[in-house]
Amino acid sequence: MLSRTSSSIAPVTQTQVVAKKDRLLRWIVVASLIVSVIVTTAYTAISIYIATQLVYVPQKPLYATPASLGLQFKYVTFPSRIDQLQLKGWYIPGVLPDGKLTSQRTLIVVHGTRTNRTDQKAGLLNLSSALARHGFAILAFDMRGMGESPPAPLSLGYFEQRDVLGAVDFLRTGPIPYPVLGRPRIIGGWGVSMGAATLLMAAAQEPAIRAVVSDSAYADIIPILEREVPKGGHLPPLFTPGALTAARVIYGMDFYAVRPEDYVASIAPRPIFFIHGTSDTYVPTANMNVLASAARTAPDAHIQTWLVPGASHAQSFHIEGTVYVDRVVAFYTAALGPDTSNS
Amino acid sequence: MSSQMYDAFHSPAQKQASQQQGSVLRGIVAGFIPLGLLLLLVVITVLLTALARQLVASSGFFVQQQAAVIVLVVGLIVALVVYIIAIVRTLRKITSWQQNCMIYQARAALLALGVTALVVMLPVILAIVLPQNPAL
Repeated sequence: MLSRTSSSIAPVTQTQVVAKKDRLLRWIVVASLIVSVIVTTAYTAISIYIATQLVYVPQKPLYATPASLGLQFKYVTFPSRIDQLQLKGWYIPGVLPDGKLTSQRTLIVVHGTRTNRTDQKAGLLNLSSALARHGFAILAFDMRGMGESPPAPLSLGYFEQRDVLGAVDFLRTGPIPYPVLGRPRIIGGWGVSMGAATLLMAAAQEPAIRAVVSDSAYADIIPILEREVPKGGHLPPLFTPGALTAARVIYGMDFYAVRPEDYVASIAPRPIFFIHGTSDTYVPTANMNVLASAARTAPDAHIQTWLVPGASHAQSFHIEGTVYVDRVVAFYTAALGPDTSNS
Repeated sequence: MSSQMYDAFHSPAQKQASQQQGSVLRGIVAGFIPLGLLLLLVVITVLLTALARQLVASSGFFVQQQAAVIVLVVGLIVALVVYIIAIVRTLRKITSWQQNCMIYQARAALLALGVTALVVMLPVILAIVLPQNPAL
């Protein structure tokens, strides 16, 4: 009797154990599915929100014009290369020592992020004026999404390269702002912060830019975004890759490709002058060393560097003033040659 | 090959093993259907977002952003709903297999769903695990 009972119970118990195991597995799987859906949905939603905030910059109005500094200028509008956005700027003819105007050597001035072509903080209008008084014509313009140019997402150089290339096209083939002065003979570029990084990437593609002054450029935008995105959004760093991916899907911009250090070597043999402040905590000084080292890998590179003691981000011109202007003018004069309009 | 020869090469044990293998494979396929649908819909959403961006490019940044975000969010919501429905259906299938003693098939499908949960979490896991080097 006993043996019969035990033999009939045994298979039932085994089946029950198997069923219990399967039920447990089912609950684990269902719980994992629920958690994964909730976590991933929340992560995606927050990433999309951060991406939309990251690329939006309220446009700042210009605070002055070159006329306020006693300079002649003309408003200009030109299309960016590829996407034909109508960019606004001004053209300031260079002033020779005898007071004559010239456009022989024209410098494209590229401002930084969240500002415009007057950028009071970096002293852009004053610098443009100083360079113009040294005989260099200036094409200063607002990059897309900034100043008077049409609204556009901030891509920290990815799309803005097209604006610099558009400026080159304008100088080479566009309507001449001062027909009496003719078309520029040679073109150089000056950029600060994002403008410098953008200029470096554009110059690598455009041989018409014969010399580049890069003030406070970053070598790679990702480490800066990895610091700034969590700080700005008060969120843990894990949202940064999500936000950058969302920006790629929504706007088509690839922040991972914004690496001027990968481009600078192709600028050679055209000279580059790297300037950076020793107290720059926004774009650390190491960025200049990375860029200069990368640029020097080209066999025919002509690289100059200048570490400005005590200067914070994009403040070298403010700190050094005329010394800054003299060094930049000397660089451009050596690279672009003298103005020959009087000879 | 004649049926006699086939029987000679395939003993009852071999037949059972191959049947088990077949049911495991069917279970895995059924378990991965929700993930397949999700991935397909996400890819379609991303492509549609790019298309919407291109189509309204001339209308300016704000219209372009609005169009892209709406297409992306709606697409992802649709993908999520389809994914959840597919999971519920798969779980029901698994229950019926368990009731019909198709244990291997049910377990394989459950394990495939477990892997699905991991794959869906992968972007978040990678964001946590992969190193970042913020500028100092």
